[in-house]
Amino acid sequence: MQYQSQMAAKPYFIAAILLFVGQIVFGLIMGLQYVIGDFLFPEIPFNVARMVHTNLLIVWLLFGFMGATYYLVPEEAETELHSTKLAYILFWIFLGAGVVTVLGYLLVPYATLARITGNEILPTMGREFLEQPTIIKIGLVLVILGFLYNTTITILKGRKTVVSWVLLLGLWGLAIFFLFAFYNPHNLVLDKYYWWWVVHLWVEGVWELIMGAILAFVLIKLTGVDREVVEKWLYVIIAMTLLTGIIGTGHHYYWIGTPEYWQWWGSIFSALEPIPFFMMVIFAFNMANKRRRQHPNKAAMLWAIGTPVMAFLGAGVWGFLHTLAPVNFYTHGSQITAAHGHMAFYGAYVMIVLAIISYAMPMLRGRAAANSDKSQVIEMWSFWLMTVSMVFITLFLTGAGILQIWLQRIGENPQSFMVVQEKISLFYWMREVAGVIFLIGLVLYVISFFIGGEERTAPAKA
Amino acid sequence: MSEKFTKSMARNMFYGSAVFFFLLFLALTFDTSKALPERDNREAITTEVARGKTVWEENNCVGCHSLLGEGAYFAPELGNVYTRFGNSEEAIIAFIKSRPQDGIAGRRSMPQFNLSEEDLKAVAAFLKYASEIDAAGWPPTIEG
Amino acid sequence: MQQTTALTAGKEDYPPGDFVIWIVIYAELLAFGIFFLSYAFARSQNVELFNASQLELNRTAGAINTLVLITSSYFVVRSIAAIRENLQKQAARWMWAAIGLGSIFIVIKLFEFYTKYDEGITLSSNTFYMFYLSMTFFHFMHVILGLVILTIMATKIRHGDYTAQEHDGMETGANYWHMVDLVWIILFPLVYVIR
Repeated sequence: MQYQSQMAAKPYFIAAILLFVGQIVFGLIMGLQYVIGDFLFPEIPFNVARMVHTNLLIVWLLFGFMGATYYLVPEEAETELHSTKLAYILFWIFLGAGVVTVLGYLLVPYATLARITGNEILPTMGREFLEQPTIIKIGLVLVILGFLYNTTITILKGRKTVVSWVLLLGLWGLAIFFLFAFYNPHNLVLDKYYWWWVVHLWVEGVWELIMGAILAFVLIKLTGVDREVVEKWLYVIIAMTLLTGIIGTGHHYYWIGTPEYWQWWGSIFSALEPIPFFMMVIFAFNMANKRRRQHPNKAAMLWAIGTPVMAFLGAGVWGFLHTLAPVNFYTHGSQITAAHGHMAFYGAYVMIVLAIISYAMPMLRGRAAANSDKSQVIEMWSFWLMTVSMVFITLFLTGAGILQIWLQRIGENPQSFMVVQEKISLFYWMREVAGVIFLIGLVLYVISFFIGGEERTAPAKA
Repeated sequence: MSEKFTKSMARNMFYGSAVFFFLLFLALTFDTSKALPERDNREAITTEVARGKTVWEENNCVGCHSLLGEGAYFAPELGNVYTRFGNSEEAIIAFIKSRPQDGIAGRRSMPQFNLSEEDLKAVAAFLKYASEIDAAGWPPTIEG
Repeated sequence: MQQTTALTAGKEDYPPGDFVIWIVIYAELLAFGIFFLSYAFARSQNVELFNASQLELNRTAGAINTLVLITSSYFVVRSIAAIRENLQKQAARWMWAAIGLGSIFIVIKLFEFYTKYDEGITLSSNTFYMFYLSMTFFHFMHVILGLVILTIMATKIRHGDYTAQEHDGMETGANYWHMVDLVWIILFPLVYVIR
């Protein structure tokens, strides 16, 4: 670690991991509710558990992105952060708001939460992933603006690298597209149309810039490959991301009342969406092969290589599976969507945040470069447990989805939703088992931070 | 050939495609907004329907159900529930009203939301409006 | 980057221009290619509608535009030939001529769009018009971007930024313009003529 203010990243990373644990616990609760319908009913109904699950995901990923930014920007800009104090203040505000929101979900009925937070003044609640009370959303915007102010000033006063610049663009995009969360017309079709400007243009647009920038940074540090090469690749990859991904939004406009030409536009461009992910895989392996140093942090390397692979599988392959309109006609809103969502989020965003944490945390905790061998072995175990169990979660949900479609949507005598759900419950049980293994992996991950031992030191150049 | 692979050209490609495709997206969005009145059933949006959408949102219905395929997959699709319930708003109201307070042993059950009569009517009107949006023939079957 | 000399256009200079532009070209050709295949597929589902609607297009305008664009591409070739001889003035002249023709394409195409708009035809009119408008508008935007690139190149020639020894940037831009031309050469017969 070269700059004192990089320490600001530490609380962000810790909070991210803690909220991640919370997210998985609620995921398991939901998984159980899928097979034991009255589990925790009516104390924690499914919709509440789901809000907590998805909102925690978003919040902890944002914590991860912010932590990554605070770690990366001083090093890239070669200057101390504009204001470390602001970073800490915003951390506590953000964490406080997040905790209050989750407690709100858990402790009062959602309708009551809407009433006491004055949702009727500016109604934005009750839409998927945007369930937060309006006042919390406004707070989130303010936190992000403060964060952007802090990092933008830092970058402007220091060295401007492609990595930090792309990261900054992604973060500004994140803030700008979030503003569409405040547009909630009575017209359901318009509501849905612009809802996707937040959701799709986040995860298949600007977030990918953030992901690309963090991955590029970690690879530069771990492999010692020339920055010029990495930055060229970064530009080309994110160019392809936007080339395919922006019009790719159209794959959400097939069946929500929007004109039918979106079926063509959406299919054609989202068929190309796997390309940038594939390029990312090629890029990461290329850099690993050309590495000029043997970095002692093996675990971080594993995460950094695993990220593009799993992102390609989850977002690229599983996305492509159901992105063409004639296929999507049957798969839309089924467990296939859930399967894709799980692996894509894990591969693209969970893993990139864990990669930067894995790389940065040893330094933030005062080590020279890496954790002890013992700690790294445990961390790599956690990598494989989480990753493999996520593959199985995806496969089981895909199986559930195929059966669901077959029974409910194809054929002369479609069966009702609830009947079909019972018939496919075996797949849900298996998914839940895979989920438990995922949690074990996550617990091991947390444990790996508490394993001491002699630090692994860097050998000279490989 | 990769020797002639310059960073400035890669940067141009990035900014070029970002601007190009965003403008294209805006153009398509413009056309969409022109074409929507034909499809989105906007003339049916009364104050009651608008209130129904608020009821829908403030009880987080989308946390279990999907609506035109978007939302959660824990409970049935509701974009066509009006047709599935025999084109009857009363049937929808009766169903919501009759949910048991403590659920059903061992099974999934919709919570009892204790909605007022106006809210019940409003949310049923909202679901009727939603069912009459031209969703290009989706869902494939009446079961959603 | 690698210095290339003008007269040794040997294997090491192939393909011309920056590697990045070839990624762009492959990606764009892929997008257009899928569009063309989709068109062929949709047409096979409804030949009569496609044939009937096709007759309503202005084939003369399309044909003129084809000539205009090919000629414009040729002028860009001449411009690069001139720069290889270090004839900056001529190169600039050819380049502006290419831009002029590109602008004529825009004007004719706008006239075509306007007539269709006037007839009340939109993307939602029928499947043929969906494809016609989508593909030609997508291509139209490429022409505009191409013109921006050519204009930048023309001004750079004037500033003496390109020489016989160093004109990779020009070849890169020219590649893009040829791609735009090539796509139209496929698009025009496919959509306006073949039945």
